[in-house]
Amino acid sequence: MRNATQIRRARLAAFAPFQAAMPGGPDRRLEISSLGDYRLREPVSGRSYTMLRLQTRGGLEGYGECGEIAPRDLAAVAEAVRGKEATQFETVRHQLKNAPAGLRAALNMAMLDVVGRSAQAPVYQILGGPTRNKCRALAALGGAGDTELVESARRARAAGFRAFLVPAPPPAARNQGQAFVLAARRRLDSLRQAAGEGTDFVLDGRGTLVPGDAASLAAAFERYHLLWLEEPCPPLNLGALKKIAAENVTPLGLGRSIEEPSAFQDLLREEAVDILRPDISRNGISQIRQVAAIAESYYVALAPYHNGGPVASAAALQLAASLPNFFIQQIPFPQAEQDRKMRAALAGDVETVKDGFAVLPSAPGLGIAVNEKALEEYKEHTA
Amino acid sequence: MRRRQFLGGAAAAMAASRVAGEPRRAAPASLCDCAFAPPQPAPPGADAFRGLGSKVKITNLKVFGVSISQTSDRPYVFVKLETNAGLVGWGEATLEGKAGAVMACVNDFREFLIGADPVQSEHHWQSMYVHSFYRAGPVMGSAISGIDQAMWDLRGKILGLPVYKLLGGPNDPAGVRGYYIASGRNLEELRALRANAAGQGITCFKGGIPGYYEWIDTNEKITAAVRSIEMLREGLGPDIDIAVDFHAKTSPSVASVIVKEVEPLNLLWVEEPCPPENVKAMARIARRSTTPIATGERLVAAYGCRELIEQGVVDIIQTDLNHVGGITALWKVAMAAAASGISMAPHGCEGPIGLLASLHLDSAIPNFLIQECCGNIVPQPRDKIWAEWFGFPAMRMVNGKYPLPEKPGLGFDLTEEALNRYPFGGSKPMARVFLQDGSVAEW
Repeated sequence: MRNATQIRRARLAAFAPFQAAMPGGPDRRLEISSLGDYRLREPVSGRSYTMLRLQTRGGLEGYGECGEIAPRDLAAVAEAVRGKEATQFETVRHQLKNAPAGLRAALNMAMLDVVGRSAQAPVYQILGGPTRNKCRALAALGGAGDTELVESARRARAAGFRAFLVPAPPPAARNQGQAFVLAARRRLDSLRQAAGEGTDFVLDGRGTLVPGDAASLAAAFERYHLLWLEEPCPPLNLGALKKIAAENVTPLGLGRSIEEPSAFQDLLREEAVDILRPDISRNGISQIRQVAAIAESYYVALAPYHNGGPVASAAALQLAASLPNFFIQQIPFPQAEQDRKMRAALAGDVETVKDGFAVLPSAPGLGIAVNEKALEEYKEHTA
Repeated sequence: MRRRQFLGGAAAAMAASRVAGEPRRAAPASLCDCAFAPPQPAPPGADAFRGLGSKVKITNLKVFGVSISQTSDRPYVFVKLETNAGLVGWGEATLEGKAGAVMACVNDFREFLIGADPVQSEHHWQSMYVHSFYRAGPVMGSAISGIDQAMWDLRGKILGLPVYKLLGGPNDPAGVRGYYIASGRNLEELRALRANAAGQGITCFKGGIPGYYEWIDTNEKITAAVRSIEMLREGLGPDIDIAVDFHAKTSPSVASVIVKEVEPLNLLWVEEPCPPENVKAMARIARRSTTPIATGERLVAAYGCRELIEQGVVDIIQTDLNHVGGITALWKVAMAAAASGISMAPHGCEGPIGLLASLHLDSAIPNFLIQECCGNIVPQPRDKIWAEWFGFPAMRMVNGKYPLPEKPGLGFDLTEEALNRYPFGGSKPMARVFLQDGSVAEW
C-alpha cells in the first residue's frame, strides 16, 4: 500500500497544469436512474415482446426491446447499472455478461437511444455510419400450406417486400429423401410464380431437419439461387453443418438462437456458414457489431433475425446503417391488420418497406418516438 | 486482338446491364483494356447520403511531417482534416522509416475525402481500403490510420463526445494501465527502477534481449539472453509484470529454446519471438511453452490478424493504432480477439496523437491488458515537446494509469504553429544491422 505522500509525489511528477487542461469527463445527465418494462402481446398473432424504458438523471429517455423479462432480473440489472452513463454501452454489455441475453440486448438499444438523443444524432452516426442509405428487407411468410403461403407472399410483395423467408414443408418422418425434396421444390416454384419478377427466397429448415434431408435439400436447390438455406440443422450440430457446407454451394444461414459472439466465430472458423443471423432481440446493437467485426475478415455478411416488435426493428435499422458487411434485415410483417395497427401505434411508420428496402430513420437515437399511451393501452396485464 | 475485342464486348454488356436505379455514370476514367474497371461514378458518395449524414463536410486534407530530432527514423506524420464547420480533426500516420511514402499515400486519398461527411468513418474506411484494390500493407495501413483517427476526432467534436464515449466506454474512468521501458542496464539500476515504480504506482515494464541472433545460435548467446531476462525479474522483483520483446530477432528455433528457459519467471508475455509473416512458425513457438506470446504490431486490418485469432496462436495481440487502420480497424481486431479470449496490448512507439487515440480505444474494449508508449519513467525530451504541443503531459501515467483525455473527439487541441517549430527533416531509414559475417540481421 502507498501512503499519502507517495501518492502526492506521483501526482506532482505528472506536471501541474494537467487537471486544468482536461475539464469535463463524467456527464451526470446521462447517468441511468431507472429501468421499466412493458410487456406487450399482439392481439391476433399472439407475438409477444417487452419494451424496456431507460430514464436518466437528466430526464432523457431511451427504449429497447427483447423477449420476456423476469421481474427479478430487471431489478438486478437496474441495480447494477444505476449511475452508469448511457455512453458506457460497451462497458455495461461486458459487465453484465451473466445477465439474460435479451435484457442485455434491450438495455444496449436503450442506452444507444439515449446517447443518440443526447448528441442529437441517429445511432448509426454515433457508430460511424451511415454505411448505406436504405436497408434491404426480408419478410417471413406465414401460413400452414402452400396456398396460404402464396397468399402471404402476395400481401408482403404488395407491402413492398421483395425477399421472403419460407418454411420448408414439414417432413412427414425422418429421412424423407425424394418426396420431401419435391414438396419443397413445388412450394418454392409456386411462390416464385406468385411473387413475380425480382423476388428472392430464403428456405427455412427451422433447425429441424436430419442432416441427410438437409443435405438433400441443399443439393437440390444448388442451382435455384436461393438467397440462402436457413438453419437446415441445429446450429450447434457443427459436424453436420460442416458436411452440408462442404458438399454443396447453397449458402447456409445460421445463428438466430445464438447469443454468444464466440459461437458465431466458431461457425466461421469451421467454414460452416455463409450468412449470419443474430437475433436483434437477443444480441442488441453492440453485440451484433462485434459479430460483424468478426465476420468481415471471412467476407461474410449479416442478415439479422427479428421476430419481435417495432422498437427492435428501429434498432435493427440503426445497426444496418452502421455496418459495412450487412445484407438484409428481417422485419416482422404481421398478417393481421389489428397487429399492424398496434405496431404503428407504438412506434410510427418505422417498418415501412418500399421496393424491397426499409427506409432509414433520420431522427436522433433509434429514430422513433415511442408512444407511451399506446404502451399503456397494449400492455399485457398479468394476473 | 480477338481477346481484346471479346473483353471490350463484355464490358459493354456489363455497362448495358447496370442495375436499374443506380446513378448514371460518366465515361470510363481509364483507357486501359481492363474489362473489369467500371466507369467512375459521378459524383462520388456524399449525395447518396443526403439527409442521413451530418451537415459537416471535409474541405481540406493536410499532411505534416514533423521531425522532433533530425536523426530519428520516425518523423511523425500527422493528418489534419478541415471542415466547413470550422472544426478540425487530427490523426497520426507515422510509419517508421517510411515517412515520405506515407505522406504521399495520405495525399493519394484526397479525392476520397474532400466533400465527404467525416461522421461516416466506417463508410470511408471501407472505401479507402476496398477501392485501393491491392488492399493495404503498412504504408497504406498507416495512411488510412491517420485519416481514420482524424475522422473519429471530428465525429467526437461534431457530436460533442470524447471518442471513448463513442466507443461505449470507459471501463475505468481513472484511465488506462500502461508500462514504461525497463530502462535499467544492471541489477542496481533495475532495483532503483523498482523502487521508483512503487512510488508511482507503475505495475509493469518491458525489456528486450541483447544482441542479434542467427538462425541457430551458440550456447554463449542463448545463455546471455536467458541471463538478461532473469536479471529483469531479479531486479524488478516478483510483484512487477515483465514483458520481454524479442523484436523478431530470433528464429522460431532459437526463440523456443530461450522461452523454454524463462518459463519459470512467469513473464507477462514474450513479444514477437519470430517475424510476423508466418503464423504457423509463431504457433510452433507458442505451442511449446506456457509463456504467453504476444505479436501484431506489424499487422494491418482485422484481415491481417484473422489467422492468428482463428488458430488460437497467441495470447495477446498488439496491433498499432497508427498502422492497423486506425480506430475502426483496431476495434475490429479487439472484438474478434475478445471472442477468442485473446487480450489486447496495443503497440505504440511513434508520436503522441496515435497514443492518445489508443487510450480512447483501450478504455472501451473488454479484453484490454496494457498500453505501450515507449516512454521512460523519467520524462524524456519528447515528453516535454508533447506537453508543449497539447498543454498537458501526454502519455505520462498518474498512479500507474494514463489519464483519459476528456474533451470531445480525441481530446486535445493542436495548432500548426506548434508543429512548425519541428520542420520535416525527410525520411530516415530504420536501423540496419548486420551479423559479424556481414549478413543481414533482424533487430
